[in-house]
Parts: sequence; structure tokens; C-alpha cells
Amino acid sequence: MNEVTAFWILAAISVIGALVAVRKRNLVHGVFALLVFFAGLAGLFLLLLAEFIAVVQILVYAGAVGILILFAIMLTDRVTGKDAFRVTSRGSFWGAIIALAVFLVILLPTIREIPLIENATPKDMIVEQSSVKELGTKLIEPYIVTIEVLALLLTAALIGAVTAAQGGRASEKGENTE
Amino acid sequence: MNWELIGDILLATVPLLVIFPSMFALTTWVERKALARIQNRIGPNKVGVPLTPYGGNLSLFGLGQPAADGIKMLFKENIVPTGADRLFHLLAPILSLIPAMLVLCFLPLEFPWLNGEQNSVKAFMLDGAVIFFFAITGLNTLAVFMAGWASRNKYSLLGGMRAIAQMVSYEIPLVLSAVVVVMIVGSLNAAEIAEAQAGWNWYVFQPWGLAAFVIFFIAALAETNRSPFDLPEAESEIIAGYFTEYSGFKFALFFLGEYIAMFAISGLAVTLFLGAGGGPGVEALPWLKVIWFLAKVCILIGVMIWLRGTLPRLRVDQLMGFAWKFLLPLSILNIFIAGFAWHAKKANEGTAVSVIVWVAALIILYAAAKGLDHVNRAKVKPRTYQYGE
Repeated sequence: MNEVTAFWILAAISVIGALVAVRKRNLVHGVFALLVFFAGLAGLFLLLLAEFIAVVQILVYAGAVGILILFAIMLTDRVTGKDAFRVTSRGSFWGAIIALAVFLVILLPTIREIPLIENATPKDMIVEQSSVKELGTKLIEPYIVTIEVLALLLTAALIGAVTAAQGGRASEKGENTE
Repeated sequence: MNWELIGDILLATVPLLVIFPSMFALTTWVERKALARIQNRIGPNKVGVPLTPYGGNLSLFGLGQPAADGIKMLFKENIVPTGADRLFHLLAPILSLIPAMLVLCFLPLEFPWLNGEQNSVKAFMLDGAVIFFFAITGLNTLAVFMAGWASRNKYSLLGGMRAIAQMVSYEIPLVLSAVVVVMIVGSLNAAEIAEAQAGWNWYVFQPWGLAAFVIFFIAALAETNRSPFDLPEAESEIIAGYFTEYSGFKFALFFLGEYIAMFAISGLAVTLFLGAGGGPGVEALPWLKVIWFLAKVCILIGVMIWLRGTLPRLRVDQLMGFAWKFLLPLSILNIFIAGFAWHAKKANEGTAVSVIVWVAALIILYAAAKGLDHVNRAKVKPRTYQYGE
């Protein structure tokens, strides 16, 4: 059992999860298949020694995004999962073409630039410092301004979302009490 | 095959699988006994060792109760509702147990039989152990939802939705109160956090640490669906919440998962605030570390049981308001206080400074808590009832 075996197992889990997520008519089943895909992806990141990205993958995608989608489903009348959508395959042709285009134009050149795994001995790939610590130092030292701006932007977006969601009702409420 | 590695891994993980479930069995007995005493009852006292030579049945204060319960659970009929989603109905209890068991690896339990380079617990001492802990415990929510949804029962679904809302809300103060410790230690590694508190340098003895510990403990109660935050399984409102339709061994798995999650989160609280394995005599006898760690976990569990017997359940709106309007601002404020305290201490060492820091921090926290309480306190008006005619 080495890294390659682990890779194939995790890759199979991810691909099967993704396929089931797309093909399943039952929405809730689809979401859980998507979560399996996220978990497989987190495993792949862990295999690449990117433990922070792996944990964020679990925390943000499997945890937060999964719950968000489930909440959204709960608010529809498809909760029961019985009369789920008919998955129409009308757009599948163009979807396949776009996916192929993305693969050829963006992914393939990137993959070709990276040295093959056989050439890079694993010892070269192991970083001295752990990835979490390095990431933390990088975020604080050179990229502090970027982080702050991003944080401000996200806060503004959050407040904006709350205001947009509440705006109408708040004024109505005010009228009612008067 | 690297047999030595496999042996090490077994040495590190099997104790976790033995210690915590057996602690679970004992805790169920302790909880029933303690709750009974609080409610002026006796609790289980009959089941002991059957067929003993003198007198037939040796009842050791009802200590045989957990074993009897376990056997009963195993042999009970497994009922699946007709409308239920059979696959998810089966998967949900398993999925609720897995994250709870998994995070036990991240606790800095230093077993004496693991030493030096071959310490495979070190393999789990990832540099992001604390984040890993929170990420994986967060998956428990999904299991709860799965159970609620798969049962095809309105009460189950309501319980599941309540559980999700509650767990998502309380995860924020939980993580933010842990952030304080991570910030001060400068590491997310559980072993390093434990090391930084060696020699009675526990973070609960710091003003910000005390506040963070209290917030953490309250949020942990909510996160594990313990009373007074046990709304997802509120018997008087929604039968048993998400596990209404579960019986037999599946129910036992849920029960086990819930208690293991309690142990895990108490273990994290011990790691972050109560000095992990630190205690009297650890320098001379390093194996005492495991004992102290588990003892502290047991004390926290004891407090949880005590609270369950003491406090009434919250209302849904109170629960949400408490998390978002009280705990969240307080934990954010606490992060600032920890930063200031750290800088003040770093600037000039001395008892005077630490006394000032203590007093100032407590005043600020107290004022903030009072103010938030005042702002959030519902304006109670006499209710008007309208009866049907």
C-alpha cells in the first residue's frame, strides 16, 4: 500500500461521488454524494501534503456548503425527495464541449508544465516547515494588506446581504407598530 | 507491509477504542445515578452480577446496568419505517459515530507504551490538529440531518433542522474561543498547546482564558446537544427529535456517538484550557499524564451531568439569540483582550502588571456581558390570548 494505491482509491471515490451527485434524481442523495466527492478531494489534498487545504476542504465544503445546500433544499417542497426533478440532458452536449475546452485550454498546459511525479523524489516535495505554519507566516507578512482588504470586502458583503434580506420587512414592521 | 508501523498504529488507536467506549458505559450509569439523586430518586440499583454463589444476585449499586442495556440494545428489533429511506436510515448512525471516534486521535493523550520516534500518536499530531478537530466534528451535523430526513417523520425532520441550526450557530463561538489559545501559543498543534501549559501554566488561570473556557464550555454543551441545549431531542416537544424512528442497535450507535462526542469535546477543552495532562507529580511519573487527562475529562462530564439535572431547557429563539447576540460578541471581544494582555505582559513582566491585566480584563468582560444581557433581554409584555369562539 503506497501513495499511488491511495491515490487511485481516493480518485475513484471522488469520481464516483461526483458522477452520482450529477446523475441522482433525489436531491438529498445528490447532496450527500457531493459531500463524498468533497471528502475524497480532501483526501487527495492530504496525500499531496497540503493538510491545511485538506482541512479547509472539509470545513468549508463538506461542512458549510453542504449544510447550506441542505438548508436550501429544506426550504423547497422537494424535501421528501420523492418527486424530484427530471434530469434533462438537453444541455449535456454543450456542457461536455465546455468541459473539454476547459480541460484542453487550461488544465492540460498546466499539467504539462509540472515535472512528472517519477522525476521528483518525494523527499524534494516535503517542505521543511509544515504547510500550516508557512501559510500563516505568508498571510501575515507579505499579504497582510490583501487579507485586510478581503476581510473588509467580505464584511461589507455580509452586512449588505443582511440589509438586503431584512430591508423591506423592517420598514413594514415599523409601520405596524405605529 | 510494514508490520512495525501497523503494530504502532494499533498500539495508538486500540486504547482509544477501548477506553472511551468503556467510559461511555460507565458514564451512562453515573448519569442515571446522578440525575436520580438530583431528582430525589435512587436510580438503577438492581442489576449486578447474576448467579453469584451466596444470595444469588450480587448488585453492585446497579453497576451491571450498562452491560444489561447493551445486551438489550443488541437484541432489540430493528424497525425501519415503511416510508423511510432505507440506505440513509442505516448510514446515519454510523456517520454520527465516525467523526466522534476520529477526533479522539487529535487529543494529546500520551500513553506510556508509546515512546520516542515510534509514537504514532505523533502522526495524528498534525500541525493543524485543532482545525482538523473542528472540521471533523462539524460533520456530525450531517449525520443528524441524515437521520432526521431519512426517517420520513415530521418530528424527526424538525429535530434534524433544529440540530443543524443549533450546531452551525454554536460552532462560531466555540471556534472563536479556541482561537484565543491558538493565538497565544502560536500553534494549532495540540501537543504544542499541551506543552505550552506545562507546570501549572494553565490558560484557565488567565483572565481571557477563563472567559474563553466558559464560552467554550457553553458552546460545547450546545454542540453536543446536551441539556440545557437539547432542543433537537426535546422529549416534550418533538418526541425524541432526529432519532425518533430509531431502535435497537442503531439507537445505541447514536447514543454512543453522542457520548463519544462529549468526551472528545471535553478532551479538547482540557487540552486548550486545563493544561492537558498536567497535574501534580507528572515530572516524576510521566504515565500520570494520561490519568490526569482522563480525570479532567471526567470532571467536565460530571459538570455536564450536573447541569442537565439542574437547568431547564431553552426556547428556540432564546437559544439562537444567546449564540449570536451574546456569545459571539463576547468571544470576539475576548480575542482583543487576549491580545492586549499578551502585549502588556510582554512589555514589562511583573505581578503588578498581571494584577492590572486581570482586573481590567474582568471589568471589561463583565461590563460587556452585562450590557449584552441588558440589550438582549426581551421586553416582557403581558400576553394577549385569543380564544376560538
